[in-house]
Amino acid sequence: MAWYHEIGATLRALLRRDQQEREMAEELRTHIEMERQYNMRKGLSPDESAARARRAFGGVERYKDDVRDERGSRWFDELRQDIRFGWASLRRRKGFTGLVVLTLALGIGATTTLFGVVKAVLLKPLPYGNPEGIAVVWSSWKGFPQTWLSYDEFEAWNSDIKSFNGVGLFTDNSVTLSDGDASERVRSGDVMASVFPILGVSPILGRYFTPEEDRPNGPKVIALGYDLWQRRYAGDRSIIGRAIQVNGSASTVVAVMPQGFRLPLDFGSDGKTEAWVPLATDAASEGAIPGPAFDKSGGSHNWYGVARLASAATIEGANRELATYVAQLVKDGVYAPDLHFRAFTIGVNDQVTGGIRRALLILFGAVGFVLLIACANVAGLLLVRGEARRRELAVRVALGAGTRRLTRLLIAESGVLAVFGGAAGVGLATLGLWLVRRTAPAGLPRLAEAHADGTLLVFTLGVAFVAALLCGVLPALQAGRVAPANELKEGGRAATAGGGKLRWRQTLVTVEVALAVILVVGAGLMIRSVANLFAIDPGFDPKGVVTMRVFTPAAWYQDSARVVSFWEQLQRRIATMRAVENVAAVRLLPLASEMGDWGLGVEGYTPPPNEGTPGDWQVVTPGYFETMRLRVVSGRPLDTRDDFQGPLAMVINKRFVEKYFAGRDPLGKRVRVGGSDSGLTYAVVGVVDDVRHNALTRDVKAQFYVTLAHFARAPGNTLRNMTLVVRTDQNPRSLISPLRAAIRVMDPRLPVFDVRTMEEVVGSSIAEPRFAMELLGLFGALALVLSAIGIFGIVSQVVASRSHEFGIRSALGARPQQLVKLSLAAGLRQAAVGLTLGIVLALLLTRAMGQLLHGVKPTDPITLVGVVVVTGLVVLIASAAPARRAAHTQPGAVLHEG
Amino acid sequence: MPPNQRSEILQGTLELLVLKILTLEPMHGWGISFRLRQISNDVFDVNQGSLYPALQRMLRRGWVKSEWHASDNNRHARYYAITREGSKQLTAEREEWERSSGAVNRVLRFAPQGA
Repeated sequence: MAWYHEIGATLRALLRRDQQEREMAEELRTHIEMERQYNMRKGLSPDESAARARRAFGGVERYKDDVRDERGSRWFDELRQDIRFGWASLRRRKGFTGLVVLTLALGIGATTTLFGVVKAVLLKPLPYGNPEGIAVVWSSWKGFPQTWLSYDEFEAWNSDIKSFNGVGLFTDNSVTLSDGDASERVRSGDVMASVFPILGVSPILGRYFTPEEDRPNGPKVIALGYDLWQRRYAGDRSIIGRAIQVNGSASTVVAVMPQGFRLPLDFGSDGKTEAWVPLATDAASEGAIPGPAFDKSGGSHNWYGVARLASAATIEGANRELATYVAQLVKDGVYAPDLHFRAFTIGVNDQVTGGIRRALLILFGAVGFVLLIACANVAGLLLVRGEARRRELAVRVALGAGTRRLTRLLIAESGVLAVFGGAAGVGLATLGLWLVRRTAPAGLPRLAEAHADGTLLVFTLGVAFVAALLCGVLPALQAGRVAPANELKEGGRAATAGGGKLRWRQTLVTVEVALAVILVVGAGLMIRSVANLFAIDPGFDPKGVVTMRVFTPAAWYQDSARVVSFWEQLQRRIATMRAVENVAAVRLLPLASEMGDWGLGVEGYTPPPNEGTPGDWQVVTPGYFETMRLRVVSGRPLDTRDDFQGPLAMVINKRFVEKYFAGRDPLGKRVRVGGSDSGLTYAVVGVVDDVRHNALTRDVKAQFYVTLAHFARAPGNTLRNMTLVVRTDQNPRSLISPLRAAIRVMDPRLPVFDVRTMEEVVGSSIAEPRFAMELLGLFGALALVLSAIGIFGIVSQVVASRSHEFGIRSALGARPQQLVKLSLAAGLRQAAVGLTLGIVLALLLTRAMGQLLHGVKPTDPITLVGVVVVTGLVVLIASAAPARRAAHTQPGAVLHEG
Repeated sequence: MPPNQRSEILQGTLELLVLKILTLEPMHGWGISFRLRQISNDVFDVNQGSLYPALQRMLRRGWVKSEWHASDNNRHARYYAITREGSKQLTAEREEWERSSGAVNRVLRFAPQGA
């Protein structure tokens, strides 16, 4: 069957209705006229001819109707009638319609919002050419499950791993752009010339970096990010080839990268990189052996690696190849076996979204439950309405409306509701996505890209359609069983509630409560888990601390002495400001970035063979311990004594003591930082409690603190990137602009960036569980409210439909409390079943949350008890109001009615 | 739905005949109905109007197409013509008809022998 003819005909029927009607009328008229003339030619009288022609034709209007039927648009015409009728009947009951539309809007809006998030994070391809073929390469060894590559590793993987079709190194950094009026600090990436081609991204203007530029002391060039180009250079296309001031010296702009381009590890970070310069390094400057050969030290492990998979190669294959290669290295004695050295890759999609995928899928499932609850609620409301409309429907059946037509009428009605619910839902989703973008904690990849768009609209339409079916099908089934004779005979009133419909509604409420319980259990577990995370002692006090990064470029601060004196003066200036309690600067803020280690020589400690004595190095200015409220366990903190002249002093953490000074008093012991020839030797002056620097949930490593002035005594140890930390007894945000002003007074050229309170830093370090908690909490609350509406509805219905019975009971001497109890029982029984069912299902389903939870099992009894109590209370409150009405049943009034 | 079923058998035959008639030349509705009466010796004793729903259905299925032309006596009339799909349909229906009527004939011929 040529279906396109059918569709064409239907479309024509819909679009050219009037023309077709005209033509049909004329055609039939012509036919009768021709027949009449034929009769005349046969010799009949004019009157007889016309009469016979009409008789032979049959009923004109009837055939017109038959022709209309055959046009293929009848179903549509009827649907239009149904919709018009549904619309009219919905308009008559505004309160009912409003409630249903609101319920649907909440369900559809929540679902659409989450779909928007899922789409932005998981479904939208990363901004790379063929991202499936891109792998991020990592090294790993004891204590470092996922860490950087060395130059030697890069060379080996690049030339010997057949699964890779090119490997490139990059790292993140920042640059100061100082041409024009304002200097600006932007995050930057140092990338090998091969990185952009590996990522499959071409510049929108200009060209890739060349190998010549990607060499030590090569020509200075820079590639600009789209947003930076628009913001700072007003999208000027002639920027290519122009020299701009980068870190105080001239660099040629060779490329503008496309909008939305990011390096593979940029997605989760608080600020994306916006400019890229060549990495410009080689084996010699890295201290590595040129070519694929391996050195034991292999150059420092400093770099992120990214690789393009060879065609037909897989991540698994690459990992097998790397494992074989490393096994050989260990066999050859390059790496000691107990280092547990390993090299592996992760597909770039997994790298970017792997962490959040599970949370999002769980949330998507959760929001599906919310939608189901909303639909169940609406179905319940429609059932009640169906009850009230039994007579109307019976009349329709009696007048010849078929069951199918009736079903369609009811589905059309719920369709109208769903369309309005969907429209309102789109509004809610737009709002929801805006909220997600506004409030999504930094550290979650790609959330900022979640927008309402066409796909989302299509999705909403689909959801609304499904919702319409779900809501409409039950009432329609009920209507299908309307027997007009009974309905009309009965006189529309019975002493007790019509059993069938009530049972349906009760089932719906049970299901609703069960679904809500699952969501609330999930939310409860997340809340407990996040509370556990917040309860972890980070080793410092984030409250009242504001932080900002300040960069002192070599162009203006040539040596360490100038850098140190800048910080001393700035600190003195800030210390006198109002509301400032303490001020200091630090190399790396805890929980903001991972800290690397340094090989140490610890007095009286000999490491086991093949193991070093690594210590994480932190550099601070005097006052840091007070500002962050680190707890000094013994000895003293670093202070103004530890300046350029003072003897080299070091403070170590408790883990350091446990590891390298087990059973010995560390105070006064000597620790050498760096190699035996060039390293500086410090004396331990104090011990502080452990700070969870890398993550709240990760093990603390041995760590030491030295002052900026002392650290700078070794040549080349000038630290230009420091973070200012200031403690106040006021709202820390109120200090931001005075602090900026103070820095401007010191040196207006200096860029200030990454301004955050310490509490924000801590918060974003647990962004993912918090995000999951907030959304699950929201969904759980929504589910509870919707279930409460459902329970309220059913108890109201019970009370209303049994008012006659209650009247009789009351007349026979039942006390009000007994009536209340009777009506409450109706809601509570369903709720209890739903609660039990929900807990059982929750125990099964929340197992999927295991990896999201910290310090709480999916079977956590406290959560489960809490959920039972909360849900029970909501059920009670929802039932109480209508049940109380039962108590006031006036026997006279009710019985009189009949 | 017994009434429908009967008319369906009728419809199938009617369509077959209309297609057959239209293989001769494009024709307007009255012309078709006139031919029907001629061919079948007025066996098809149905209302002439019932032709039009059938034509509309065949239009929808793409078996015939229609155009407005001036008729012989300069009257504006809608002419129907068979399409390629209509021809295919006619062949298929005729084969089907011959197969089934052949089977019926065989049964009818067999019956007297057995009796």
